[in-house]
Amino acid sequence: MIERPITLVNRLGLHARAASKLVQTASRFESQIWIERDGRCVNAKSIMGVLLLAAPCGEELLLRTDGEDEEQAMAALRALIDSRFGEDE
Amino acid sequence: MSFALSGLGVTSGIAIGRVHRLTPGELFIPEYHLKPDAVEPEIERLQHAFSRGDAFLKSLLGRLDDGGGETARELLEAHRLILRDPMLIEASESMVRELRINAEWALVRQTEILQAEFRRMADDYLSLRREDLEQAISLVQRELADQPATLIGSQVPHELSDTVLVASELGPAEMTVLAQRKVAGLITEHGGPWSHSAILARSLEIPMLVGVPHALELLSEDETVILDGHYGAVLANPDEGLLGHYRDKREAWQRRLLDLRRYLVRPSRTIDEQPFTLLGNADLAPEFERCRNAGVEGIGLMRTEYLYLGDSLPDEDSQYRAYRAGVERMQGRPITIRTLDVGGDKLPAELAFTQGPNPALGLRGIRLSLAMGDLFSQQLRAILRASVHGPVEILLPMLTSRDEIRLARAAVSRCREALRGEGVHVDPELPIGGMIETPAAALIADELAEELDFFSIGTNDLIQYLLAIDRSDELVNYIYDPSHPAILKLLRSIRDAGQRHNISVTVCGEMAGNERTARLLLGLGLTRLSMPPALLPAVKRSLVEADAGQCRRLVDRYLSGGSAQISGQSLLDALNDSTSAT
Repeated sequence: MIERPITLVNRLGLHARAASKLVQTASRFESQIWIERDGRCVNAKSIMGVLLLAAPCGEELLLRTDGEDEEQAMAALRALIDSRFGEDE
Repeated sequence: MSFALSGLGVTSGIAIGRVHRLTPGELFIPEYHLKPDAVEPEIERLQHAFSRGDAFLKSLLGRLDDGGGETARELLEAHRLILRDPMLIEASESMVRELRINAEWALVRQTEILQAEFRRMADDYLSLRREDLEQAISLVQRELADQPATLIGSQVPHELSDTVLVASELGPAEMTVLAQRKVAGLITEHGGPWSHSAILARSLEIPMLVGVPHALELLSEDETVILDGHYGAVLANPDEGLLGHYRDKREAWQRRLLDLRRYLVRPSRTIDEQPFTLLGNADLAPEFERCRNAGVEGIGLMRTEYLYLGDSLPDEDSQYRAYRAGVERMQGRPITIRTLDVGGDKLPAELAFTQGPNPALGLRGIRLSLAMGDLFSQQLRAILRASVHGPVEILLPMLTSRDEIRLARAAVSRCREALRGEGVHVDPELPIGGMIETPAAALIADELAEELDFFSIGTNDLIQYLLAIDRSDELVNYIYDPSHPAILKLLRSIRDAGQRHNISVTVCGEMAGNERTARLLLGLGLTRLSMPPALLPAVKRSLVEADAGQCRRLVDRYLSGGSAQISGQSLLDALNDSTSAT
């Protein structure tokens, strides 16, 4: 299992479209993937779970992957978040 | 072109709205409990429905022209994410497993939980749109109902306050949904005044007409109609003059209802400070809610027949859940559960043999229960188990002798003992009362009172048995008269027996729920009345504005010779004029 803190850098935080992208990316992997914010932990493959986190820009999240492809999953999710979900700013 | 159709009005209300025809292709969500061995197959059924719903979306996405509409694509993608969401799928599966409920129901409940969570999120931008979740879920529900989605598939709209719904027939589950969506009025082609939907419409105060032949063919979608429950008429495509007239009428009717509701918060005392007790009759969930909201002191009559009217007999667990739901909805106020009293209704095959030549005088009520010990034990166990969750009283129907009570009490004790062995501890003092509805029971009320904790008078049957008439027989129903001196004398003697033995006497027939005859009961000293929730406001007003002493004097004079001079109708008129509404 890998655990990494990560900061949301896109302006809007985990809004609907960003959450969709995150879930779609997470769903490509076999590993179990969890996101934790403020002690609330949700399944990263659940669109509703991710939306319910309501994480704003600048928020520090804890990302946890567990399984055969945990390394690749972590790398892909970090890349997605660091690239601001492909948004302009 | 304007025209009129006629049917039977089951409520006297007026509805004005646009027609929505409920054609058989539309969905209603069934809710039921599962046998243990049905749980795993049900979970598989749910998983299949999710994946077929997802496949449907995928095929739609495949057909989208690449140039056309990013919005449509995003929407469909979002819906696909919802249909693959573990918070939805896994949670629904564990509901099926743990609560042993069917897939459709689990899905409804889990969706409600998620929607409540999303409603709490303040930020509209972050929050999932409610419609998205609903639309995605409806795809799964369609798959479960074996009616896969099509692009033109319609559903019952969510807001029905402007809609008069037209259907072939409606079941109780459907009525519950329609009531929640505040349907303006209902028209069915089939069904009678005592069908489930009609009873529910009365209790929920929804204007309804039953028995309107070919309504589905004759009324067109979106056509404006007036439904007049009082005259049993549907007026299609009315002109402005008629619409205006009916709008005024509807307003007056609604104002009256509102006026009456104000009485519900008044203390239950007559103008001369005689206290009285109002209780509710309730079988189904929305009726319990309405009783509680009307401020009743308890449920005086929960009938259990509806549980038995399906294709097969209910098991102990499903009965337990129905009783417990009633107990919990009343939040500590007592509920009186009457054991099975079928007679002459459509019965499940297992009970068909009980249909003798005259069901009213046949194997019904307590006789049937004592004749079928297993059936009775099953019901008693379910009631006793529910009594752990709040105050419950058991009511035995159709008593004629002391022995019947002793046998029934022995059955209750056996069930209590057996439950104790299973770790369920039931109050040994749980009250057991009896229906006084046969002349025999009324005449030996003193004897019966020694065996019972309370009396409940079923006036409908008592009047029919005493006057030897069948109310549904048009040739003799004019004889049906609650103010007949024989009835009043018997009612008084039942009350006296109750008083001598210090047990309560509740009236739960139609006499209790009628504002005029309620004063007759008040005059007889019968001050515990139980009735359907819709009737509570009018009866409460009648009693709050009554002079109990004056009512007693009028009834006394009538019974001690006055009945030779004046008719029962004149007595009722006098009782209802004796105090002016102030």
